[in-house]
Amino acid sequence: MVQVEKLLTQHNDVEGSHTIDVYRSLGGYKALEKALAMTPESIVDEVKKSNLRGRGGAGFPTGMKWSFMPKAPTFPDGRPKPKYLVCNADEGEPGTFKDRLLMTKHPHMLIEGMIVAAHAIGASRGFIYIRGEFVFETKRVEDAIVEARKMGLLGTKVSGTDWSFDLVVYRGAGAYICGEETALLNSLEGKRGEPRLKPPFPAMVGAFGMPTCVNNVETFCAVPTIINDGAAKFASVGTERSGGTRLFCVSGEIEKPGVYELPINVNLNDLIAHCGGVLGGKKLKAVIPGGASAPMLSAAETDVAMDFDSLAKAGTMAGSGGVIVISEDTCIVEVAARLLKFYEHESCGQCSQCREGSHWLARMFHRIEIGQGTEADLNAIAGICSNMAGQTICAFSDAVTGPALSSVRKFRHEFEEHVRLKRCPCKPEGHVPKHDHHASATL
Amino acid sequence: MTTSEALTKPKMTIDGQVVEFEPGDTIMRAAERARVDKTIPRFCYHPGLPVAGTCRMCAVEVEKAPKLMTACSTPAADGMVVLTQSDRVRKSRSGVMEMLLANHPLDCPVCDQAGECSLQDYSYEYGPSKSEFKEDKRVWKEATTKALSERLTLNMNRCIHCERCVRFTEDVTKTNELLMDNRGWHKELTTALDEGMFNEYQGNVADICPVGAITFNDFRFQKRVWFLKEKVGICDGCAKGCSIYADEEKGTVHRYRARFNAEVNKHWICDEGRMSFHRYQNAERVIHPLLSASGSLNATTWETVVPWLLSEMKKARRILLLIGTDASSEEAATIAQMLPSFSSADFVVRSWNGTNGVQSSVDDAALDHLLRRRDHTSNTRGIESLGIKPWNSATEQNFDLAIYFRCGRATLPPVMAQKEIAWGVFDLPEIQRFAAVLPGLSTLEKFGTYTNCDQVTQSFEIVVKGPGGTASVRKVLDGMKLKSSTPVREVVRDTI
Ligand SMILES: Cc1cc2nc3c(=O)[nH]c(=O)nc-3n(C[C@H](O)[C@H](O)[C@H](O)COP(=O)(O)O)c2cc1C
Ligand code: SF4
Ligand code: SF4
Ligand code: FES
Repeated sequence: MVQVEKLLTQHNDVEGSHTIDVYRSLGGYKALEKALAMTPESIVDEVKKSNLRGRGGAGFPTGMKWSFMPKAPTFPDGRPKPKYLVCNADEGEPGTFKDRLLMTKHPHMLIEGMIVAAHAIGASRGFIYIRGEFVFETKRVEDAIVEARKMGLLGTKVSGTDWSFDLVVYRGAGAYICGEETALLNSLEGKRGEPRLKPPFPAMVGAFGMPTCVNNVETFCAVPTIINDGAAKFASVGTERSGGTRLFCVSGEIEKPGVYELPINVNLNDLIAHCGGVLGGKKLKAVIPGGASAPMLSAAETDVAMDFDSLAKAGTMAGSGGVIVISEDTCIVEVAARLLKFYEHESCGQCSQCREGSHWLARMFHRIEIGQGTEADLNAIAGICSNMAGQTICAFSDAVTGPALSSVRKFRHEFEEHVRLKRCPCKPEGHVPKHDHHASATL
Repeated sequence: MTTSEALTKPKMTIDGQVVEFEPGDTIMRAAERARVDKTIPRFCYHPGLPVAGTCRMCAVEVEKAPKLMTACSTPAADGMVVLTQSDRVRKSRSGVMEMLLANHPLDCPVCDQAGECSLQDYSYEYGPSKSEFKEDKRVWKEATTKALSERLTLNMNRCIHCERCVRFTEDVTKTNELLMDNRGWHKELTTALDEGMFNEYQGNVADICPVGAITFNDFRFQKRVWFLKEKVGICDGCAKGCSIYADEEKGTVHRYRARFNAEVNKHWICDEGRMSFHRYQNAERVIHPLLSASGSLNATTWETVVPWLLSEMKKARRILLLIGTDASSEEAATIAQMLPSFSSADFVVRSWNGTNGVQSSVDDAALDHLLRRRDHTSNTRGIESLGIKPWNSATEQNFDLAIYFRCGRATLPPVMAQKEIAWGVFDLPEIQRFAAVLPGLSTLEKFGTYTNCDQVTQSFEIVVKGPGGTASVRKVLDGMKLKSSTPVREVVRDTI
């Protein structure tokens, strides 16, 4: 049995949890009060001590990120530069749906976390960049901002202090790549959503050229509990290098799919059991442990803790916390082909290798899936991936190689079966796959 | 900071060679500055454009950095050790090439860029010899080519998505005419407006497109580039005097390209200038001496026309020598000094510009934030510096002979005298009023200097031979000396 300790979502089922009244009645905005009485440095210290690591995907230590923000940046003429805080609510990683839950049920937790963070880094304005499809969630967050403003928690003189901070909601237009923080900043500025070259990093040149700190929704939502109950309590959950709980989004062939808040280092097998096991009691074939970009684990590799370091050691990644369960009945080639179709569609296309490579892989995997692949194709995959990984502006290109390499390495026999039979062994003969977008290369 | 510290420049090592660089340089800039043996290959980088860092072709190994770094975007640092030819680097380049070639049509035999194509050159040097790519290539559903404007043609199938063209209209002309539609593999270059591109510098886009995706209609399908000889020149299209390459084969110029000149035009030239060489290669140009007889101009020889000119000059009492501000400084100086020596008449030497109402450099102005000038002649400043004043056609009159020397850009002046002689570069429709035409050389056919609107003096060289019976100023004056019965009064500078 896994230990269930909820720090963020304990009030999921409380009626009206998204309203400021209910939120306050459950102890909401106490952390803000406390934080406003603290120095910015001590807030950053507290977050550092909590071992909170970013929940957006890369798992960067949050306190450290905040401490990278320049203290008193100025323009060349000496005027002070504004600093900005940005919430990444683009949640585009396939298999990930926790931020929308937080925004739906606990928008004030996000707002409180952002005000505390803004105070810690000295930001004058915050932007919440919400995925375009999240129409309802956007409304929830916007309504909550209006409520908070009415209560004097946002706007000029936050809670009666001398400090002003306000939030702006910005809706994305449906590109996965806009979840990458620098593409997000470009999009926020009204430019093409394409990742920027780094350096300079956002902490130096971020939104509208100003020093900017970008964090994920869940990262901000963890801040109030850290301030309220202390870093020690948060850090007592999880591992030494990665504290607290995490919202795991469990989907695929699982009995009880959903968002589960569990200690960040929960064992994957326990997590699956906690969610009722594989759908229909079937045998497990594979798990994608951290969103589509995370290399798959085979059934033999699932005895692993879910924290960032353990999964990295297992050759995959904790990513966005999206756990996709795949049973013995599912064709891995189809899974991989479907994922690669996604990446082919979402590459921003700046970098040569990513633009051409993501498409090449998608087409090749599709061909293999429909029985037109060859042994030579299987052998070419590793070479294509090595040209794509670690050579581009952002981590997207690396992400493409996650499903491509892991599927063919760990389930090569399935690929070979497709090549040998010249069709998908899992489908009846003559089956035409649904996502046959590649019939022609003509645009 | 002590003086000695200020004088020591930061240093880095590129392929074992210790090189100095300027603070703010990227690895690419530092390598260019030091002219390291092997240039770092690049597609998206262009020294005249903002850095994009997207093609990844310039990735190099930097000691202590775990990943390869793009030379075009990574700042150089003191003590940095860079390898541009290591196995890792070469593997990465071959990887980029394999990706770019995967969907490229490889239609070099019918592509105008062949011979000066980065993709072709790098493919030879770094590309994999064979490809694993077995998919259908990307083919755009529109016709193979489409017009970006009247001047440019796009073949999207050849595009490698470096977006130099997009950044050019964003950053250089600031007209934002080009953009990429769609995303990723589907990215398609298109014009922002249905009407197409409209800026006056479009030819540069063809210059900087590293492949044959964008071509300049004026040159498209005119010549295989390997037949062309690259000559350096100056564009005489306006008072800016941009540095150019004039590419020539067998006496015919086929195109102009911009030649980098930090002081004048940086990397660019305007379209009007780019196509201005046609002015001198047109069928209407007068390339043999003409002399009027019984009311019409007839072909004649230099043997006939030179003595005729001398006798006319002797007969005249008051002569206007009008020099176009498109003459080279040497030509202007020579004829202004020499011509009066053949006659005892009262000689008035003046200049004429006349383009867009310009008479002197005071009337000149920039037409945009880049290069183009109102003054469409190339040497107004140079002629002025010789002390030759513009002709005031209202007050300076009563000449019985006028000789107008110009090189094809200055306009025709109002009537100067009863008898007028044209000397230099003229077209048939322009010459009705003249009693004789002495065909001269255009910028392409001589050497000399021009001083531009910003007082930058540049010299230019002979690109092609003068056509037909055209002759240099020097030759004409030599002929006059020979035919002249009176001794020449003074010896002039030994130039054209
Ligand atoms: C292709 C790509 C997509 C991403 N999408 C998201 C996303 O949807 N949401 C998110 O929070 N982070 C996303 N990230 C990670 C962000 O770049 C960034 O690391 C994160 O927002 C930082 O917040 P954190 O420190 O709180 O994790 C993405 C990264 C990449 C490379
Ligand atoms: S790696 Fe891919 S998604 Fe990222 S910037 Fe390059 S082309 Fe765009
Ligand atoms: S058309 Fe040429 S310059 Fe423009 S993106 Fe394509 S290859 Fe680059
Ligand atoms: S030249 Fe450096 S990335 Fe293109």
